Amino acid sequence: MRPTRLTLPTAMVLMAVSRNYRYGFDISDATGLPSGTVYPVLRRLEEAGLLRSRWEAVETARSEQRPPRRYYTVTGSGTQAVRDAIDRYPTLDRAFDRPSSPEPRPA
Amino acid sequence: MHDSPPGSVIVAACATIVPPDRRAEWQAEWLGELAYAWSVRRRGHDTPVSARVALWLRALGAAPDAVWFRRHHGGDSMLSQDLRYALRTLVRWPGFSAVVILTLALGIGANAAIFSIVNAVLLRPLPYPSPERLVFVFGTPTDGDSAKVGRGSSYPDFADIRTRSRSFTQLAAFSVRQTTVTGKQFEPGIVSGAPVTANLFPMLAVSPLLGRTFSAEEDRPGAPPVVIVSNEFWQQRLGTNPNVIGSSISLNGTPATIVGVMRPRFTFPGATAVWYPAGEPTDPRMRGQHSFTILGRLAPGVTMPTADREVAGIAKQLETEYPSDNAKRGARVQSMTEAIVGNVRPQLFVLLGAVALVLLIVCVNVANLFLARATARTREVAVRTALGAGSRRLARQFLTESFVVTTIGSVLALVVAYWGSKLLVSKAPTSIPRASEIGIDVNVLLFLLGLAVVTALIFGVLPALQMSRGMPIASLREGGRGARGGLARRGLRQALVVSEVALAVVLVVGASLLVKSFWKMERVDPGFVPDRMLVVQIQLPQSRYGGYADGDRVRAFYADVYRRVAARPEVQSVAVAMQHPLAPGWTSSFTIDGREPPPSGQEPESSIRPVMPGYFRAVGAKLLRGREIQESDGVGKPGVVVINEAFARLHFPNEDPIGRRILRGSWWKGMPASYEIVGVVADERFNGPRAPADPATYFSLAQFTFNDNWLLVRTKTDAKAFVSTLRRIVWSMDRDLPLENVQTMNELLGDSVADSRFNTALLSLFAVVALLLAAIGIYGVLAYTVAQRTSEIGIRMALGAQRSSVLRLVVGNGVTLAIIGVAIGAAVALVATRSLEKLVFGVSTTDPGVFAFVALALTAVAATAAAIPALRASRVDPIEALRSE
Repeated sequence: MRPTRLTLPTAMVLMAVSRNYRYGFDISDATGLPSGTVYPVLRRLEEAGLLRSRWEAVETARSEQRPPRRYYTVTGSGTQAVRDAIDRYPTLDRAFDRPSSPEPRPA
Repeated sequence: MHDSPPGSVIVAACATIVPPDRRAEWQAEWLGELAYAWSVRRRGHDTPVSARVALWLRALGAAPDAVWFRRHHGGDSMLSQDLRYALRTLVRWPGFSAVVILTLALGIGANAAIFSIVNAVLLRPLPYPSPERLVFVFGTPTDGDSAKVGRGSSYPDFADIRTRSRSFTQLAAFSVRQTTVTGKQFEPGIVSGAPVTANLFPMLAVSPLLGRTFSAEEDRPGAPPVVIVSNEFWQQRLGTNPNVIGSSISLNGTPATIVGVMRPRFTFPGATAVWYPAGEPTDPRMRGQHSFTILGRLAPGVTMPTADREVAGIAKQLETEYPSDNAKRGARVQSMTEAIVGNVRPQLFVLLGAVALVLLIVCVNVANLFLARATARTREVAVRTALGAGSRRLARQFLTESFVVTTIGSVLALVVAYWGSKLLVSKAPTSIPRASEIGIDVNVLLFLLGLAVVTALIFGVLPALQMSRGMPIASLREGGRGARGGLARRGLRQALVVSEVALAVVLVVGASLLVKSFWKMERVDPGFVPDRMLVVQIQLPQSRYGGYADGDRVRAFYADVYRRVAARPEVQSVAVAMQHPLAPGWTSSFTIDGREPPPSGQEPESSIRPVMPGYFRAVGAKLLRGREIQESDGVGKPGVVVINEAFARLHFPNEDPIGRRILRGSWWKGMPASYEIVGVVADERFNGPRAPADPATYFSLAQFTFNDNWLLVRTKTDAKAFVSTLRRIVWSMDRDLPLENVQTMNELLGDSVADSRFNTALLSLFAVVALLLAAIGIYGVLAYTVAQRTSEIGIRMALGAQRSSVLRLVVGNGVTLAIIGVAIGAAVALVATRSLEKLVFGVSTTDPGVFAFVALALTAVAATAAAIPALRASRVDPIEALRSE
């Protein structure tokens, strides 16, 4: 596990995931960051062990006639990083309209 | 199951960057998101276009993501390693890098600039819907005598072709006339006016910015006059007034209501400022006036040859129906594009070819520089080989370097192209059509990109091959003096120099031919003396001055203006004439008294050039025999005419023309019907310096009066300084006469050779660059050779060789290379210069003098370039050279 610098985009992505924006494009929409910024941040956070990724259920995707999507959730050590992020950028917390919730959004 | 969403192409392309073991997963994640977003947006309210654009933009994010992946999970991140290494190399050799990048930028940029002209003029379609269906119907001589039948048609002929033809959905006609415009809001002026049929605008699908185009009713005889003005006219003379529709301006003294303002940049035909309805001049007497041009749109399914056959057939009917006006008058169809740009095609292709040659030389030179540097890097390469770098790996490294250099060069080239293209447009002669459309667009950018890739390959591959092909480990042992590899490379570099010289020869020969032809053109005796002469046309409106049958006021005006101007102390002489000495004017038919008249419609023609007394002396035309037009040749006196040499040569080859008479119908009351030839003058080159003069007849302006004449004033000192005085004199007589365009004769003369000057200047520039590059190439190779052979030369000198013989050895080496190059280049040039045939004047494209001159010049340049390394070699100290061994 590598330490991750908590830059503003990193904090934004991390908090977006904790607010249940779990898919790459949704995070991009919620944060206003371009997809080319969001993805490398997601990869770095996952490598650092703050996020974990899974593939959505194949059945869901098949019923909508599309390939499955990959989603991200905050890990245990990620929860602490979210708190650090809120401490560091207090106003960010209010930027998201979804409440923080440990439950994964029904896919 | 599902089709791929927009943007998946980008993802697929980026996937190639991602390391193979992670690629499938990476791509699946991006495609999953794109597919989901696409399905959502298709259900939503987005228009298909905006949804697509949004997804394409999203997909672009895959590129940084893929690069990130590569950097962090690459394992093998050789590309970026290569890149970094290439950049380091660039910085390590700053002089080398600067020279290479700058020559590339200039070479590629110049090509893109020339291409921007070719693109706008030749490649881009005309800005009308289905331009390929638009065709001109031109008049054409059935007996090949283009002096008698030009491209124009008469309005009655147009009306007949329109009624009888089936090949066109529409046929329109237009003409171009110098038109005097006057109005309350602006200074009077002469502008280009176009009488048009009402259907011209709908046919070209052009709509006005304000107001409307003409209705069919407005295009009938007797309809109230209306006018459409160009955007430029509206801005410059009408103050961009948005309420201008419905107001009125005067055209040649007749008030007309403004019904429309054209959209910007539409000035067809030519540089038209005002359009007005042609008004169906179907009077049978108009059949002989071929001042209209016919433009049509081919009907669906009709081909050009079909239409061509049909109009030729109709012309044949008209020939039998109207033998006096339509004898030998055929008709043909030509595509609009071809008619507009066909003439400049050879010229532009020559320029494009020349600039491409320059780029080739640039490539050869850069390749040469790379090879030279490769020598300096022999040890480095050997070390890397020894450390396990494969030959493909090395080749890739060198290719990366050439691509990095080209990329930087191309960015600079874009700047060069942008400014170069602007400069070309500002210097381009007016004869280049569509110049206003020239600029950098997607086509030019793609061209530049393609050029950059090809360039990088051309100059990158050779050194890469050389370097990667078994760099001898021996060079490590031998302290960097790679013996065999060095020899092979030297051979290659010499071959490059030879080809560089050969290419330069082709360019220099081409430029020299144009320079020689331009020099000859400048030296053609124009038949008059252009120095210190002002030229301006005065148009007297019929509404106030009468004219033709009633020419008293016109004659009085010109006599008066002549007197007033001639009375000024700074004026040396004044002339008044219907045509100035560089205006071809128009022709009319005549017969010679006492000779069997030719069949009707086949009478000879001559240029009509009425003049006031004193004209020949004032312009400096030589009177060869007889006398000039005099004051006594006035109204009611016997008709007289002075002919030019061309006339005398053609019609009186073995007789004295003086005293003979020519007959021509009297056009208006009081005009003589027969004219005695009283003098012969030397030819004025009124068709331009490249073409011989046609037969011309100089009548007395008093006996052959026109309202519009040129005032030619020769001043004693600076002509330009007299312009304001001249205006004051004329405006003191009539404040409403337009006098904007006062030019000097030398300006007019300059315009007549502007084309040639443009071609010559550009090609000479290219040739100088080529020569310079070739010289650098020769210098580079010899300098390298001398450095390589220092010890050999040292031994020779220790064994008793003289400095002079060393000098001879090295210079001889350079000159030998040059001579081989010159021989090859001359052979190529013999073929290549054929493309110049249409551009040169008075010079054969195989002119031996030019070829000899170029051969000598290039050899001399080569010897000079060789001199510096040769001197260095001759100063080699044998002791030092041997000690370093």
